[in-house]
Amino acid sequence: MSSEETRIRCTAITKSGGQCRLYDIEGTEYCQIHEPVAVPAEPDVSEEEIRALQAELDELVLRVRALNTGYEPPSFSLRRLVRLVAESMRGMSESERLALLEPLRSALADVDMETLKGIWYMLNFTVQYQVDFVKRRFTGDYDTDEWGLDWEIVDLMRPFFTALYNTYWRVETTGVEQIPDEGRALLISNHSGQIPWDTVMVGTAVMNEHPAQRLVRGLYSDLFPSLPWFSHTVVKLGQALATEDNGVRLLEQDELVAVYPEGHKGIAKTYKDRYRLARFGRGGFVRLALKTGAPIIPVAVVGAEETYITLYNSTSVARVIGLPSFPITPIFPWLGLLGLVPLPSKWYIDFGQPIPTEDYGEESADNQVLVSQLSDQVRNTIQEMLMDRLAARRSLFFTSS
Amino acid sequence: MEEQKTVLVTGAAGYWGHRVARRLASEVGTRVIALDAEEPAEEIEDIDFIQADVRNPLVAKLIETEGVEAVCHLAFRPDVRRSEAAFDLNVMGTMKVLGACAEAGVGKVVLKSSTAVYGARRSNSAFLREDRPLQGSRRYGYTRDWVEVEAFCNGFRHQAPDVELTILRFPGIIGPTADTPMTRFLGELSTPSLLGFDPMMQLIHEDDVVEALVHALGSDASGAFNVAAEDVLPLNKIRGLAGKPPLLILHPFAYWGAGFLRGAGLGLGSFMPIELDYLRYSWVGDLMRMQQELGFAPRHTAEEALREFAEIQRTRRFRLESTALGRGEQRMRDIIEQRRRAREQQASIETGSEEGYEDE
Repeated sequence: MSSEETRIRCTAITKSGGQCRLYDIEGTEYCQIHEPVAVPAEPDVSEEEIRALQAELDELVLRVRALNTGYEPPSFSLRRLVRLVAESMRGMSESERLALLEPLRSALADVDMETLKGIWYMLNFTVQYQVDFVKRRFTGDYDTDEWGLDWEIVDLMRPFFTALYNTYWRVETTGVEQIPDEGRALLISNHSGQIPWDTVMVGTAVMNEHPAQRLVRGLYSDLFPSLPWFSHTVVKLGQALATEDNGVRLLEQDELVAVYPEGHKGIAKTYKDRYRLARFGRGGFVRLALKTGAPIIPVAVVGAEETYITLYNSTSVARVIGLPSFPITPIFPWLGLLGLVPLPSKWYIDFGQPIPTEDYGEESADNQVLVSQLSDQVRNTIQEMLMDRLAARRSLFFTSS
Repeated sequence: MEEQKTVLVTGAAGYWGHRVARRLASEVGTRVIALDAEEPAEEIEDIDFIQADVRNPLVAKLIETEGVEAVCHLAFRPDVRRSEAAFDLNVMGTMKVLGACAEAGVGKVVLKSSTAVYGARRSNSAFLREDRPLQGSRRYGYTRDWVEVEAFCNGFRHQAPDVELTILRFPGIIGPTADTPMTRFLGELSTPSLLGFDPMMQLIHEDDVVEALVHALGSDASGAFNVAAEDVLPLNKIRGLAGKPPLLILHPFAYWGAGFLRGAGLGLGSFMPIELDYLRYSWVGDLMRMQQELGFAPRHTAEEALREFAEIQRTRRFRLESTALGRGEQRMRDIIEQRRRAREQQASIETGSEEGYEDE
């Protein structure tokens, strides 16, 4: 005990209710027994910030009340409020919970009963809102953007897609940070697997791995609008029909658009042609990029080809049914619909370096030479990316490193 | 002393003609001549009503002698079943009116059409611009006639470039008093939708239709314009907001049912006022021209219009003579507005200030 420093006693209250009589550890206000479990007594949040947070909470509650004058929450009690907060945080990790509780605790330290009641109202309303999901679909109380994107449906389907991404196909994604955080960009990818799961996985890759969690607005073929259920679900997930007007409009709204130029040719490939890129159409995607100055980001998806081992493509049966192709695999159509279950190959999605198109100017979209040149450039880049990945891949179903 | 602008409104006994005529009559400086083969059910004050068929060849002479400067041609029979009589009035009638306008040197003609003329196809872009080729279905009478009229107008613009021809294409129209395919679809329980399809759709409120037509008469813009409320909603949401319980039929059965009804000669109009394709694919119009060139902004959003519609639907069975009351309410509204403007004008004349033209 040096005479220069003043030892102070620990400021914690012991279990029996009395003041702790031990001396504190240097630099803190607690002794060695109480220090590990104590929340730092000095909040980093200043008075004004606390007041600002409270004001925001009050305003939010007022707004929610104004929108839903008919809603009455169950009767209020502090204990029920605490329990509701605990329940709402059940799905969160330890660090997330602490990150939420610390500022909330300091903000609520001096708050009045009215704000607490407001928080009670809001939490109950949120729970009720989620429970009412189906009811609200029937009464029309939900919002979509002008394209038909419905965020609640996206959030609903996201766990399923994430499970496919993480567990079933164990997708490894590289280069996703090359996608800009905001602003227009055009993703161009190879297309394979008889069913467009690769579009779903590319979308999931960007949404889960990109720091800005951007939604990919893919352009789908005109096969979808005439299929029941798929026609409106793809729209609600933010995708649009593959027309030039749609692509240009989306890009001008600074969205992240994905195009799969191989189209049906790519997806209907038999196993022997796997990873050999089909023709990239007439370069329509290049025109999209040139008209809007959006950078082209090449994407290579490896692993989708092996989801279905297509031995033969029966065009005659396809014509009868009205589909663009009818694949024959070892399990389809022999096992019926069970044959449609994709194989759990290991996937790799590589995002390449963006190819800027701003400097060419809008009118260059009519320059057929430039369009073909860029189209070939992108196709070759993707082919190279595929080859690089295939060379490094040693196993179809397991990790190669 | 202001100049009187003479406007001819055809189809004045029908719903739209009647409303546009009444709306124009309340504008200061506009003299309205109303034309129709039948007498209107209610009289409109301050309007010159002439009972004549638009197909009468002497209409051109009438236009000339009365000094008509603008024509709003609303004589149209929107039947579901195709018929010669409807075709004759809709298409031939329009052709004759346009011919008369060209002959008499009318400056401006405004027609009411529909975004249905684009056709509802699976290859449609999400927002259809006005310059695309019109591929509307030919099965229903009204779409077929609109497509024919628009095709004729295309040629007409080249023949008579001096006539400013404005065509306003409206999507489904809803409102408290109008009787349109959309109100019939949303108002009846027995009108089915297709299971598994939920296209994005546009709507417009009936008041905005009247305002748009009047606005077009006074504006310099010419050509075709999509006019709709700015919010685009999925069909499911439209049904939900309108309070219509969904009657969903698997699409092959729905098409077979429609084919059967048509083949048996039974009226399709009550079960399927809107053709099935238009409930399956999108036919949403791009509104850029309306906003930038026509300079018109609808006052009601589709959501507001639907909630209003739902309220009226819920109380409909408790109302007596709802249509007449609705019209009476509309008329009273216009009279009050008219008197207010007359008072304002009187006040400004008395204070000696310069009275400009009425602004909307």
